[in-house]
Amino acid sequence: MSVAQNSIKLIYGNSHPKLAQLIAQRLGMETAKVCAFQYTNKETAVAVGESVRDEDVYIIQTGCGEREINDFLMELLFIINACKIASARRITAVIPNFPYARQDKKDKSRAPITAKLIANLLQTAGCHHVITMDLHASQIQGFFRAPVDNLYAEPSVLRYVRENFDLSNIIIVSPDAGGAKRVASIADKLDANFALIHKERQKANEVSKMVLVGDVRNKVCLLIDDMADTCGTLVKASDILLSNGASKVVAIVTHGIFSSNAIDKLNASKLDKIICTNSLPLEDAAAKCNKLDVIDISATLAEAIRRLHNGESVSYLFNHAPA
Amino acid sequence: MRNLIVLGGSSHPQLTRSICRNLTIEQAQVDSKKFSNGETSIEIEGSVREKDVFIIQSGCGDVNDNFIELLIMIAACKTASAKRVTAVLPLFPYSRQPDVPHAASLTGAPSISTKKDQYTFESAPSTPRPLSRGEKDREARPSSPSPIPSAVSRSNSQNSGQQNSLLGKATLKNSIVKQPTPVRNTKVPPHMPMSIVTNSAATNVPQVDVYGKTESGYKQWIAQNGTLVANLLTTAGADRCITMDLHDPQFQGFFDIPVDNLYSKPLLKHYIADYIPNYQDCVIVSPDSGGAKRATAIADVLGCSFALIHKERRAKVSNVPPSTSGTGMIYPNGSAVVATTMLVGNVKDRVCVLIDDLVDTSYTITRAAKLLKNQGAKYVYALITHGVFSGDSINRINKSDIDKIVVTNSVPQGANVEALNGKLEVLDVSRVLAESIRRIHNGESISMLFDYGW
Repeated sequence: MSVAQNSIKLIYGNSHPKLAQLIAQRLGMETAKVCAFQYTNKETAVAVGESVRDEDVYIIQTGCGEREINDFLMELLFIINACKIASARRITAVIPNFPYARQDKKDKSRAPITAKLIANLLQTAGCHHVITMDLHASQIQGFFRAPVDNLYAEPSVLRYVRENFDLSNIIIVSPDAGGAKRVASIADKLDANFALIHKERQKANEVSKMVLVGDVRNKVCLLIDDMADTCGTLVKASDILLSNGASKVVAIVTHGIFSSNAIDKLNASKLDKIICTNSLPLEDAAAKCNKLDVIDISATLAEAIRRLHNGESVSYLFNHAPA
Repeated sequence: MRNLIVLGGSSHPQLTRSICRNLTIEQAQVDSKKFSNGETSIEIEGSVREKDVFIIQSGCGDVNDNFIELLIMIAACKTASAKRVTAVLPLFPYSRQPDVPHAASLTGAPSISTKKDQYTFESAPSTPRPLSRGEKDREARPSSPSPIPSAVSRSNSQNSGQQNSLLGKATLKNSIVKQPTPVRNTKVPPHMPMSIVTNSAATNVPQVDVYGKTESGYKQWIAQNGTLVANLLTTAGADRCITMDLHDPQFQGFFDIPVDNLYSKPLLKHYIADYIPNYQDCVIVSPDSGGAKRATAIADVLGCSFALIHKERRAKVSNVPPSTSGTGMIYPNGSAVVATTMLVGNVKDRVCVLIDDLVDTSYTITRAAKLLKNQGAKYVYALITHGVFSGDSINRINKSDIDKIVVTNSVPQGANVEALNGKLEVLDVSRVLAESIRRIHNGESISMLFDYGW
């Protein structure tokens, strides 16, 4: 890393320090001496311990934590603002799991479009660029006036599948119609068949009825989705697949949120394995669930940061996972 | 009133109810809950199209949760075609943030890490300074408590827990471990609060000396969030803002929208005049020099005499006028700062009324009360607008020399009234807020509220 002007400064919030460490290691650099902490009255503050003047600043903060998600969000805004006051040249927020991504439409009267609000808040704080991963709806990119690089975990997932499964005997399954496109793309690249589960949803986080479209008899089913939250969908989908003659069901998701009693549900379920990326901290989940396997995506994020800093194209990463 | 809608956030439902009662309107219903992943979800039940909406949310409790909830509510009203959205923040969040890391931390904005059971009355709050080499050195001293495992190596940082790996990093960063420096100051209190910041990125920050300088010569600083918080409210869509007793009046200038800063001065004035016997003979005391103006304003109106407590921080203790015993802060590099408080004015055999805008950790006022009692004060009142009472401040006030503490209900006080058995009295601000809402809605002047209250 050159010490000359305008080098990368890597800053991280308290949501996922481990990922930040991995990215820093990958980039062969140390993280900057900027940190966020909380006073006893629960107000967040940011201490800046080194100059970021005229530097290219990357702030790593993911949306996670059942209790702290708003704290982490405010932390991110404050760090961005601190860098802005400190005259950073460019500020990029690296948000692997974009918070409030699912509240992206006015689905009821007088419901807020919170994802749009978050986009506005980030830009108000002084964010020039956003790197994120597998946005729930890629249209969220349009909520920003600033450029958004929506990276895909797909290349990393493909590699994992090629290395760990017998490709001749798998079928890729989408647990809902919304994910069909994502799943079809993976099925094409693996040259595998794909099936779809249609679900009738009545309330958020509650699944009522599911119908399977496609033949899964004696196949290893790979259930692919962008996030696993309460895991109700995954557990029900796996039951349906097994009752339709599947030999084994494995779930692969990008963001493993695992809120409330998701881990217990997974442990009790007939899912053979659940594989997710480390876009969120998974230490606690991994300790409680031996079905969990983690794909490291820090290399993709690090490479995106490197390319962005050097002004190279990022689109290579949409189809290739850095080794 | 036509077209007036008052909504309440989850921070202070009681205040919302009494404001609505004062306005004689029905409170509008909001469905505010959390998704299982912690995200806040807001749904406004009734129509707000072309309405004048007021949203009441105080900056207390889980400050960030409440603030985000407010932003989402504002955005929800805006997308639902509200004509005007006014944010009513009785206590404005982030209105008080220390600018200098250490000077400020000595006076009372300690990090959340302060150990609950370890404080003594004299002890200075731990600094919001994260774990650094200094702490590791201090840890080596047998006398100090050691809440962290000390033997951490770089190699096991990968597979061990989060904290271990971070400590490993800290070891890495500060590979040259100095020997503990001898303690030069003899006036050290027996207890040195450890400052272990609970959050982890903290280890990133380098060791800092008394003046905030790091090893590289860069002066560590704490970012001021005021402007950002103001801008976030505007971004969410607030057209106007009502608040009360802003810590810095300049804060109003951070906004591009009109801000009405109400004062609790009339309320406090009435309390003194009505409930303190022979109030003309009492002394109005400001617990620090920053609040002198606020206190003198009340003293002038009531014709009372005035005294000031001044906190000075010097590298050496000199023999100064009446003061508490020096509260020393030793920094890892051996330098020491001694915070002494001294009283300017005479309080002997007088009733003292401490006036301040915010009680948070209560270090400032408890120490001030002690000094006043030492100087012969008969009875000590503390009149404070916002009673945040964070950390172990309730305990500290119970043990302190304050005889009566009076706060407003800008922040929920239900639990505090019980915890401070009999010491606490609460003044109601809902009338002032309701009246300002009524006047703003009707386009009347609110300046008379500044002087006469309601």
